[in-house]
Amino acid sequence: MDIDTAADATTNGASHFTLDADTFRKIHPAEYNRRFISQGVRADGRPLQRFRKANVNVGSITTANGSSMVRLGNTTVICGIKAEVTEPTPEAPRAGFLVPNLDLPALCSPQFRPGPPGELAQTISEYINQICTSTNLLNLDDLCIASGQAVWVLHADILCLNYEGNALDAALAALIAALWNVRLPKSTYDELEGTVRAAATNTIPLVLNRLPLAATFGVFDAQHLIADPTDQEEPLLSSQLAIVVDQEDNLCGILKEGSAMDRERMVECIGLARNRAQALRRLIDEALAKADAS
Amino acid sequence: MSRFDIVSPEGLRVDGRRPPELRRLSCRTGVFAQADGSAYIEQGNTKCLVAVYGPREPSKRLLTEKGPTINVEYNVASFSSGERKTKMRKDRRLMEIASVIKQTFEPIICYGQNVASRSEIDVNIQILQLDGGALHAAINATTLAMIDAGVPMRDFVCACSAGWYKDTALLDLNHLEESADVPTLTVGLLPKSGKVTLLSLESRLHLDKFQSVLELASQGCERMRDELDSTIRKATQELAKTAL
Repeated sequence: MDIDTAADATTNGASHFTLDADTFRKIHPAEYNRRFISQGVRADGRPLQRFRKANVNVGSITTANGSSMVRLGNTTVICGIKAEVTEPTPEAPRAGFLVPNLDLPALCSPQFRPGPPGELAQTISEYINQICTSTNLLNLDDLCIASGQAVWVLHADILCLNYEGNALDAALAALIAALWNVRLPKSTYDELEGTVRAAATNTIPLVLNRLPLAATFGVFDAQHLIADPTDQEEPLLSSQLAIVVDQEDNLCGILKEGSAMDRERMVECIGLARNRAQALRRLIDEALAKADAS
Repeated sequence: MSRFDIVSPEGLRVDGRRPPELRRLSCRTGVFAQADGSAYIEQGNTKCLVAVYGPREPSKRLLTEKGPTINVEYNVASFSSGERKTKMRKDRRLMEIASVIKQTFEPIICYGQNVASRSEIDVNIQILQLDGGALHAAINATTLAMIDAGVPMRDFVCACSAGWYKDTALLDLNHLEESADVPTLTVGLLPKSGKVTLLSLESRLHLDKFQSVLELASQGCERMRDELDSTIRKATQELAKTAL
C-alpha cells in the first residue's frame, strides 16, 4: 500500500491503516516536509525565509582565555580559546597562529558516531580556517612575544553540544564571539633563559579586523528557498548556499553545494544574509557588553 | 608540601569551605532535545554534560544476552583545564574512566519488560570545565540522564569523593586539593541499600584512616542523592504540568 494514500486516508477515516504525524515524518520525511513547505511554512512553524532565534553568551568557561556559547534554535555550540606559547616559523618570525577546529561529537546528535572527526566536521573546520586567513581576521603579528623566538598560538576549539542543523553559522558566530572575548596575559621574553614570562592575569584583548558571519540557505524541491535549514531538512535539500558577510557589507565567502541554482535567487540570498549577519553581530555586541559590565 | 595550606589553621580549605562541606551544586535534566535523555551538572567549577541515546537497536550484533549493552564515550574538552590537552585517538585515561562508568551502570539497569536485553544504550559524557571530581560529577550526571531517558534502574548511583589531609577528612576535593598530596577516594553508592558499587583510590592512604574517609564520602553520596532526587522530582512535576 502506498504510504501517501495511507496518510490521506487517515483524514477521511476510510482505512484501518492509520499513520500519526510523527510516524509519517519518520518514514516519509521528504513528503512530510513538502506538505508544509508547499504551503509556505516549515515543519517547525517558521516561514520559509526566517532564521531561527539566536542567542549568544560569552565568558562562561573560566579556564579558557576566551569563550562563547551560541544557540541557533536548538543547535548549540560552545567555543573555548586557549592561548599557548610556541615557536614561529622562519618565514614569518613575528606571526602567531590561530587554529580553529570544529568537533561534532556523538553527544550532539544520534546521526554522529564516536571516533575520528567526520566529513562534515572536517569540511566546516577547513572552511572556517580559510575564512580566518582570507579575511585577515586577526593581525597575526599582534600575537608576537619575541620575534623569531616566541609567539602565541590560539587554539579555538568549537564543540557542538546539540546538533539541529546548520553548524557552520553557529560555529563561525561562536568563534567570532570567543575571539572578541579573548584576554591574553602580558608577557615578556627572557633572552638569557630563553623562556616566556606571562603575568598572572589576562588583560590584553585582541583586535579583530573583520567580523565575518555566515548565513546558510537551502533549496527544497528545486523551487523553494529556505533559510537556516534544520537537521531534518538538510538531507532533503537539492542544494545549499552559505554566504559570509562582514561588518562593512563585504562578501567574505560563498560556498555553494549541490545542484544548479538561479542567479536571481542567489542575489536574494545575499540580501537576506546581510540582514542576518547584522542581527548576529548585534547579539554578539550585546553579549560582550553584558560580560564586560558584570 | 605546596606553598599554600590545604586546610588553614582556622579550619578552612583553599576555596573557603569547611572540611565536610560540598561545593555548590546545580543540576538540570532534559537539557537537549536531540538526546533521549540529558543532564547537566555544575559542581563548583566542574561542569559536566551527559547525553543518553537509547535503549535502541544495537549497531552491530551483540553476543551478550545478559542485559543491554552500555557504550560510554567520555570526553574532556581541550579548553576545560589550565593546560590545554590535545585529545589522543585512544587516550588510556579517558578509556579507563569510560570503562569504570560502564561497569558501574551495567549491573543496576533492570531489563526484561521495558528494556530489551539485546538493546544498546549510548552514554556520551562531555566535561566542559574541570576543577576536580570529574569522575563523580560524570556518574551523578549519568544517573540523571539515564532517568531522564526513562531507563529503568534499581536505584540511583550517587558518587562523591573524599580525601585525607593531616588529621581531617575532606569532602568533595577540588583540583588544587587533588593535585596536592591529598589521597582521593571516589565512592559510588546505591543509597537505598547503602551498598557500594564503585570505589576508586589512586594514591597512598593509611589503612586506619580508610574507614573515616569512606564514611565521609558516603555521607556526601547521601546528600548528593537528595539533590538528584529533588532535581528529578522537579523535572517530573514540570513535565506533568505540560502534559495536563
